[in-house]
Formats: sequence, structure tokens, C-alpha cells
Amino acid sequence: MVLELHVWGPGFSLASIDPHCLAAIAYLQQAVPRGKWTLVATGDPSLSPTNELPALRNGDIWIGGFRNIFHYLAQFSSGEWVLDAGLPEQEGADCIAFSSFVESHGQPLIDLSLYVSSENFTSSTRPLYNTIQSFPLPYLTPPAIRAAAKERTAHLGLSALDIDNDGPETYEQSIIPQSLRKPKTTLSSLLAASPETGAQIKLDALAGDFFEPLKALKGDKQFLVSDTSFSSLDCLALGYLSLMLVPELPQPWLARAMRRKYPDLCTWVENLSNLVFGGPVDADDAFLTTRDEFTPSKGGKSSLPWVAPHNGGMVGVGSVFLSSIADSIPVVGQLRRNTRMRQHGGKTHASELESSSWRSISTVSGLVASVGLLIGYMFQQGFITLPAGDSEGYQNTTSGFTDFGDAGEILGIYPVRVDTEIQRQDAVENHGMPIAEVDVEFSSGGTKVTERVA
Amino acid sequence: MFNGNLSPVNSSFIAMPPTIPTDKREEETAVPPTSFSRQTNKVRDFFSIPAPIKTLFDLVPVLVYPPNGLPQRAPKPARIPTLYVFSKKEDAATGKPSFNPGCLKWQAFLNIAGINHRLAASNNHASPTGVLPFLLPGASSSNASPDALPIPSSKLVKYAAEHGAHVKEPLNMRYEAYKSLLDHRIRHAWLYTLYLEPLNFNAVAYPLYVSSISTSPFVRASISHQLRAAAEAELLKNSSIIDIDDLYSEADKAFEALSILLGDDPWFFGCDRPTLFDASIFAYTHLLLDDGMEWKEKKLCRALRRRENLVQHRERLLVRYFGG
Repeated sequence: MVLELHVWGPGFSLASIDPHCLAAIAYLQQAVPRGKWTLVATGDPSLSPTNELPALRNGDIWIGGFRNIFHYLAQFSSGEWVLDAGLPEQEGADCIAFSSFVESHGQPLIDLSLYVSSENFTSSTRPLYNTIQSFPLPYLTPPAIRAAAKERTAHLGLSALDIDNDGPETYEQSIIPQSLRKPKTTLSSLLAASPETGAQIKLDALAGDFFEPLKALKGDKQFLVSDTSFSSLDCLALGYLSLMLVPELPQPWLARAMRRKYPDLCTWVENLSNLVFGGPVDADDAFLTTRDEFTPSKGGKSSLPWVAPHNGGMVGVGSVFLSSIADSIPVVGQLRRNTRMRQHGGKTHASELESSSWRSISTVSGLVASVGLLIGYMFQQGFITLPAGDSEGYQNTTSGFTDFGDAGEILGIYPVRVDTEIQRQDAVENHGMPIAEVDVEFSSGGTKVTERVA
Repeated sequence: MFNGNLSPVNSSFIAMPPTIPTDKREEETAVPPTSFSRQTNKVRDFFSIPAPIKTLFDLVPVLVYPPNGLPQRAPKPARIPTLYVFSKKEDAATGKPSFNPGCLKWQAFLNIAGINHRLAASNNHASPTGVLPFLLPGASSSNASPDALPIPSSKLVKYAAEHGAHVKEPLNMRYEAYKSLLDHRIRHAWLYTLYLEPLNFNAVAYPLYVSSISTSPFVRASISHQLRAAAEAELLKNSSIIDIDDLYSEADKAFEALSILLGDDPWFFGCDRPTLFDASIFAYTHLLLDDGMEWKEKKLCRALRRRENLVQHRERLLVRYFGG
């Protein structure tokens, strides 16, 4: 049985646009003998049981996720197709630790460079999906991937790269019309012109944090952990590093940082990616659109065993389209994700997940809501009318204006009385100041109030 | 006008200091005392506050009470700094390890650094950053400023260094890589096993994080839902699905790698004394090995118990810095 590796299609002259897919391709290329596996470019992650590519198909068995694929290959070949088997203890530990490091520190960089940065996304990444997915899907997939990337990198505080976000905020508020304003070139406006330059310092620091340990680990060795054998860490690092280095982007800060400071790492990536992926790949190679499906691919152009995809025609595309629409609807999408987790975990007691108090509360609130609805409906329909005393209540409220008037009276008198008291006191202290005015004011104020009340 | 201007001066000369407020009151009533001045100032008065209302408002406040004292249970300014952590009240009083790995890490760090502190049981709502732990410096610790600002966990290393602790972290190219094992692989498995594994959530997390906060079933249900949703969202950030087997097997491999890294040394990276890295490892290993946590689903605990040197590393720290 020939194993089929399903990956995201090629882009940026690389065999895939996803680092994990590149890692899986490299792993199979190195571990599995030629002719035992084929490569299929696809745009449908729902093929895989974990809903992510790469996915390996062996007959009816589907394995999703690159780590699961490595484990499966080891089982399937009874320990023959394994890359890390021969590593000494310390190197094995390094392989585990640095795999985690590459994944956790490399992913935000790829996210920022290819997806979050608006310019790179709109002019490079997004158009690529048109070549690797069939018609309606490129409208859904790239924005979904971009939203996930933004969420992953939100804690880094680099959302300025995403200029769709803060368009109107950059214009300062002023009463001078736009046409009469003098163009001011301040440092911040220069930086705002290209958000990548503004974030440059932070981005360089991030990139440095990622490349520095890898450079130190590699040293003068041929591969990252060992001088002789290709490990799974090399696959993963190759996947991430080549996606950082190779794409030609309008804002090439990541590739530039890498080329400037880590030339050794760059040559290593370039050599290895030529060796493993066999030179640049384009969409025609992967989808075999230009040549006959049955002629074996020419080794000169691409050394990867591409096979034409079978996407199931209109029906297949339509079902993928519908499922990705369903995933992007808030509540429905959440429910779909939850069921996915439980199915995969094989939990039979999924209902126990919610504590019993939560269930009782939902029952109670449901009950309250339905009773409220029923009563409301009865009022509206006139089944229940308010008791007769209610009309008296109306009268009370109308006569309440006089109550309000009383309050006004009190409020009106109080300050006057205080005033007179003070003035009287004043007069006493001043020994014979004229106090006639006090009377006037008192009487005028007093009559005013009583008149108003009457 | 003339009289009016003079009168307050006179009065203040004659009956100067009974109380200052009466003096003020006189001024206001004395400015428009005659009908003449009233007429000239008619326009200005039209825009000013009417005199009766003004006098009424000037009476307020009629009486100013002294400020209320702080509640009995309010923390008194302490001489030694206080670390606010997730903990039970009685455990906090005796300085026992916190049950939250993020808090335990910094608690262990302060113990290792030799910063004398006491613990206060708290929750996230108390923290200025929204996350525990934070340290409230002692009142008389530095130049006796009682209103010293709380120190978030990110600044604790600096604080410890300023207070004479030895806080040098090892410079090793492996440091970041092995730290990422802890911050991602082990943390993700921890999140799953504590919050999303139903057996453990009901037996371990619920009493610690939910029922200790409130007795109201509504609040409890809402908090437990929030906790689980937050853990799930965190795990789904990195993959489109929560692959349980993958989480556990990766955590197992992470313990394996850390065990190899430690080897036969007493502390990580061959240091002669424990560092922040040891404290961060201890934060997870102690909680997974602690019998008091009463784990029901022990997959992660078993994976750790297989690594003898990590178990001993935890014992060593526990005996030396937490008194057993």
C-alpha cells in the first residue's frame, strides 16, 4: 500500500505554504523509501481527523498532525522509518526541547510575517490561496487563518502591523481642512507610513531570540543536533526557516534580519531545502495541471512524488465550503469544535463535562424565561388585566404634581429663610446697618412662592 | 457701597476669629447690601448664581465626619513584604506551597533568593495586573514609604536583585529551548489535565478555584464555565483540535528531556545553587507529585514519577526551602 501525504499546496516556490506540511514532506523524503509514498496537494483540512494538514492516508486510515504522522510511520514500519532512533541521549533530549522551541517561537514569527502584516498578506499570501484552492474557498480560508494568527500573536503587542485595524486612528483630529494643512513629516508619521518600520525594533528582537539559540545549537555541525544524521528537528526547523527565508515579500523584515545576522543559517537552509525539496516548486508541479496524470513526474524538475489531487468535483468543494462557513458562524462554529474534541478524545462521558449545578441552573433559567414569556403573552392578549385599583393609581400620579409643588415650596422658602437669618445676624453684628431690604426681599420672595402654590 | 465694602473689614477686625466660615458668609452677604449696588450689578447678577441658592450651597457640607476606618480584615501595613498567591488561608499562614503553578514558581523563587516574605491568600481580582502573584513591599522596607506600589511577577527578579539576592540565571543556549518545553508542552498538558479532564476538574480544580470563592451556585457555575472555556481557548490557539493523546505524549517527552538535562546534577544547568529555572520546574513537579492535590486521572503524574531524578529534585527543593 502506498502512503499518501496530503499537504497544503505549494507557494513561494516552496513545496507547501505551511511549516508543518514542509516538515512532514522533509520527514517522509528522508525516512520513507522512494516509491512507498506519494504527495498530494490539497486545500481541505477537514480530510484529516484532527482537522489540520498534513494528513497521512493509508488505505482507510487517516492520520492527522505531523507528530502523529511520525509516530504512525514508526509503528507502521515497525521501527524502520524513524529518524531520531539512533540519537544519543543528550542529543535526543535536545531534539525534543528544540522542537518545542522552534514550534513555539517560530510560529509567531511566521504568523506576523505572512499573515498579520497587512501588506504581506494582501499582496502575497492571500493571492497564493487562489492557486491552491478551488473557487469559493479562497474567500474563507485565508481570513480564518489570519484571524487565528492574530490571536496567537496578540500578546506580543504588534497589532500595528495590521493596518486594516487602526486606519482612522492615525489621522489626527484638527479643525483645519485637509487641503490647507502643511504636510508635517515628523518621526512618528514616517514610522506610521510603514508599520513594519515602526515595529522594527521589536521584530528584530523577536527574530534574534529565535535564531540565536538555533545558531548556537548548530555550531559547525552538518545538522542541528548531530553531525551525521538527519533528525526530526531538522525537518521541523527546515519547515519554519525556509518559510521565513524564501518567500519574497513586500515587507521582508524577517528574511532581512535572518540574512544580515545569520548568514550561516541561511546557507544551511538553502542547501538543505534544495536537497530535500529539490529546487523551486510551483502550483503546476503539484497539481500536475500541465502534464498528463499518468506520466511519472520528471525527476529533474521536482524530486517530490506529486500525485494529482482528487477533490471530489463540485460536491466535494461545496461540502468543504459549507463546513468552513459553519465554522465561522460564532455559536455553531464553537459547537462544531467542541464535538470535534470529544469525538477525538473518545470520551463517552462527555455529558459529565458540565457540572451538575450548571445543568440545574440552565433548567431553572429556562423555566423562569418560559414562565415570563407566558405571562407576558397573557398580558398582551388581555387574558389577565390589571386590578381596578390601578386606575386610581393614575389619578394619584396626576395629583402628584401638587406634591411636587409642595416640595418646590419648601425648597423655595428654605433658602430665603436662611438668607434672612444670615442678614439679620449680619445686621446685629454690624450694629445698626439698614435692614429694610431684608423685609422687601422676604416679602417679595414669600409672596412669589405662595402665589405660585396658589 | 462704601459701607458695604467696609463692613466685612470692620467685622473681621472686631469679631475676628470665632470661626472662619462665618467670616466667609459675611463677605457674600455684604457685597450686595444696598439696593444701589443691586441695580448696578443687575446684569452681572443675572448670570451669577442666585444668592439664596448660593447661601444654601455654602452651608453644605453642614458637618464633615472624620474618614471611616478601614475594615477589620483589611491588611495592616506590614514590615515584611507580602506575596499574594492562590492558596488556602491556613496554608498561606504557614507558608505552604501555593496550588497554582504560576504562583508557586515565584513563591519558590523568593524562598530560594532568600527574600523574607509572608503569604496572603487571594485571587486574580485583587491583582493590579489581573494576574496573581504580586508582591506588596513592606512598609518600612525601603525609605519607609507606606504607599509603595505592588510589584507584578515580571519585576520580581529585579526586586530580588535590588534587595541583595543572588539571582543570576545560567547563560546557556539550551536555556530558552528547555524553558519552552515547560511553558508550552507541560503547561498545555497541565491545562488539559486540570481543567478539561472532567474527573480532575471536579475533584481537584473545583474545590480549589471555584467553591472557595463563592457559595452561590450561580457564581460557581459561571466561574467553572469560565475557567474551562479559558483553558480550552488557550489550547485551541495552537491547534485546530485538542488532541489529548498528543498532549500527554508530548508532556511525557518533555519530562524525559528535562530529566536527561538534569542528569545527576543537584540543580539544572550545573549551577551550584537553584535558579528561577529550578523554581519553574518545581512549580509543576511539586503539584503533580503532591498527594494533597488528590489527582483522580494520574496520567501526567505517572509520566513524572518515572523520572527518578526529577522526583528527587522536587524533594530537595521542598526540604530545603519549604521545610519539608
